[in-house]
Amino acid sequence: MKNQNLLKSALLSASLLVAANIVSAETFRWASKTDPQTMDPHAVSSAPVLSFLNNIYEGLVRRGRDMSIEPSLAASWEPLDGENGWRFNLREGVTFQDGADLTAEDVLFSYQRAASEESDVRSWFAPVSDVRVIDDHTIDFITKAPNPLFPDSIANFMILDKGWAERNDAALPARDAENFATMNVNGTGPFTLQSRDPGVRTVLVPNANWWDTPEHNVTEATFTPIGNSATGLAALLSGEIDFIQPIPLQDVQQVESRDGFKVLEGEETRVIMFGFPHEHEKLLYSTNESDSNPFSDPRVRLAAAHALDIDSIDRVLFRGKIGAASQLVPAGISGYSEANGNRPAYDPERAKALLAEAGYSDGFSFGLKCPNDRYINDEALCRAAASMFAAVGLNAELSTGPVRDYWPQLREDDFDMYLLGWSPGTFDMEHPIRFLLHSQDNEKKLGSWNFGNYSNARVDELLPMIQQEIDPENRQKLIDELVAITQEEVAYIPLYTQPLIWASKDNIDLTQRADNFFMLRWVTVN
Amino acid sequence: MAYFILKRLVQSVFVMIAVAFLAFSLFRFVGDPVSQMTGVETTVEDQDRLREGLGLNDPFVVQFIRFSSDLLRGDFGFSYRTRQPVAEMITNRIPATLELGVVALLISLIVGIPAGVYTALRPRGIATQLILMTTLVGVSIPTFVIGIMLIFLFGVQLGLLPTFGRGGTVHIGSWESSLFTFDGWKSLILPAVTLGVYQLTLTMRLVRAQMMDVMRSDYIRFAMARGVPLHSLYFRHALANTMVPVITIIGLQFGGVIAFSIVTESVFQWPGMGLLFLESIRFVDIPVMGVYLVVIAFFFVLVNLIVDLLYFAIDPRLRVKEDV
Repeated sequence: MKNQNLLKSALLSASLLVAANIVSAETFRWASKTDPQTMDPHAVSSAPVLSFLNNIYEGLVRRGRDMSIEPSLAASWEPLDGENGWRFNLREGVTFQDGADLTAEDVLFSYQRAASEESDVRSWFAPVSDVRVIDDHTIDFITKAPNPLFPDSIANFMILDKGWAERNDAALPARDAENFATMNVNGTGPFTLQSRDPGVRTVLVPNANWWDTPEHNVTEATFTPIGNSATGLAALLSGEIDFIQPIPLQDVQQVESRDGFKVLEGEETRVIMFGFPHEHEKLLYSTNESDSNPFSDPRVRLAAAHALDIDSIDRVLFRGKIGAASQLVPAGISGYSEANGNRPAYDPERAKALLAEAGYSDGFSFGLKCPNDRYINDEALCRAAASMFAAVGLNAELSTGPVRDYWPQLREDDFDMYLLGWSPGTFDMEHPIRFLLHSQDNEKKLGSWNFGNYSNARVDELLPMIQQEIDPENRQKLIDELVAITQEEVAYIPLYTQPLIWASKDNIDLTQRADNFFMLRWVTVN
Repeated sequence: MAYFILKRLVQSVFVMIAVAFLAFSLFRFVGDPVSQMTGVETTVEDQDRLREGLGLNDPFVVQFIRFSSDLLRGDFGFSYRTRQPVAEMITNRIPATLELGVVALLISLIVGIPAGVYTALRPRGIATQLILMTTLVGVSIPTFVIGIMLIFLFGVQLGLLPTFGRGGTVHIGSWESSLFTFDGWKSLILPAVTLGVYQLTLTMRLVRAQMMDVMRSDYIRFAMARGVPLHSLYFRHALANTMVPVITIIGLQFGGVIAFSIVTESVFQWPGMGLLFLESIRFVDIPVMGVYLVVIAFFFVLVNLIVDLLYFAIDPRLRVKEDV
């Protein structure tokens, strides 16, 4: 009898729990692969951190649903008169989540914090020479040269309250050991942190005093990192989470075939490409061509480009979800060169002819390096590419490994050809030019991801001109010239734009932004 | 007795230092922590400064001595990935792993021992054949496949049990437990079964083999001839005599259960030490990896010690020897 009562009360409480779930229908639960490493917006410049913290902190400007720059904490901004730089006019009446007012002092403080040696985002401020507070709501960023793109480049520069940070001993980002800002937040943004258990669960609730009008209807949002994709899929299909980013390509059908779920597909801005050992004197992994570097001949590089059949790769490996790429940014990104929108066609005969012309009619072998956990289907892509290369006589010796081991190898020049994906952080063509096409120059901090050290004097000359050109038409002409040079010389082989694949329940409306950031402020639970 | 325990604990310190040394000599091959700690736009110069600051440029021996002397002083350092104190990260995760391991062990004992006895006493029964076959299947399928199958059956198709995480937990002091809520048990049952299946099969087969052996021995025959009640014969005389090897194996296996809960924890997103270790490998979080391995080594030593002590409790002959 007693047991029966127990059972009854258990059932009752279970049904109460269900009822409670229905009442608070705007509770939103989502999952992603990686937990943000920290809650400090200046300590780690990684996508999981910046994406997550954009829900809590805000910058002077922010990106809209279509990636366009719009006013945020700055209500407006304009170039300075008679001086290089920008003036930002701060929005009036903005308060931090602890009630403090936002002033220009907070922006200055955040700049000093983000540009400090302990910060991981300081490269954003390399063009800045000085920051001046004009009055409580006006602040000037002085740049070393004209910099039309500066406002676009600081969309993820998040503003902290000076008083809060100093009071809590968090005036500098935590680099070696944690500080108060690692686990606590005080932003101006649409959400605030209710609780955080790193690696387990992080709960956000709306900020009642947010200056903007909320477009979401979320009353509580719970984030759980789920590292294993099969577990993540099960969690979605069992209804325990409402949304997950990303899901593997092979699970798309599984989700689509079930009632009540949908797949969100889009194109990320990340272009996947092969890179060459431009500067190497000889191949490292060749069995028959170890005294010279055939890839220093542009005809050989072009042959490699003609050997690749992107359509087949798309059909077989990506279920038709990728778009072929002609240059280092996809169409739609500012600075994309329409004039150079064609990529080398799949043409194995031409590839063989080019190799023969360059003196390699029998082909040669070389080492191809690829990561196996960084990009979608990266290892499978490299296997496919290796067999396509082999068909024209380029025998790729493929070696793959986890990304934690991959970048150090590339930095040590340990490759004959390598795979790289690049997403333009500023959403402008200038970004990959600066990191991938300009010659390596540690002093000027240029070409830091140009592992093969592709180097062309004209390209190096064009970069600062592109950075400083204010007139859009002239700027595009400079970019077109640069893209034409790098295509002719086959600096890289751009392959395709990586797809973005998210999945959610049918009753969730959200925005999939091309930078793979997920913004809670656009979530509606129906 | 006290001397025996003390000796073993002192030995454990050496075991842990040896493990730390081996681990450290392998860390160099795991990858570069700095490229995992920084963003793509971070300059090479800033990366080098960070590397220097963390002491990663020092020779291996210097790094190892620094790590182990810090450990001996009780300073576990800070995580490269989250910048949190490593000691806090690990202790926060210990309850989840221990509860999972202990419940998995209990399941394997509560099901495994009776099943072993039953299959030994009725070697030709249909039920016996059935049990033997299903457990053989269970032990041949890799843990992560069992886990995923259970998740899709009970979580997705039937919707009875949660697919990930610990569910409702209760704080008892600093110990976060899922043993005191219905919700917590619902979350615990699938991972515990997944982790316990191998143990269960092992226990059952071991008990069965031992039991069959003992049942043939002379003292059982004499007891049977003397008319000792069957119940008492099976459980008091026969089973007790099978337990010494069973406890040895199960005890040693328990260390393995804790260490290899990594796979189960990953499949169920169970926030224990194993999951923490996996995340740490991905980020080349050397301080966390080092401390985790040392803690696991300590567990092994501790479990072995407990097994030795259990011998005293179970086997009266050993107690007699000690007294002499």
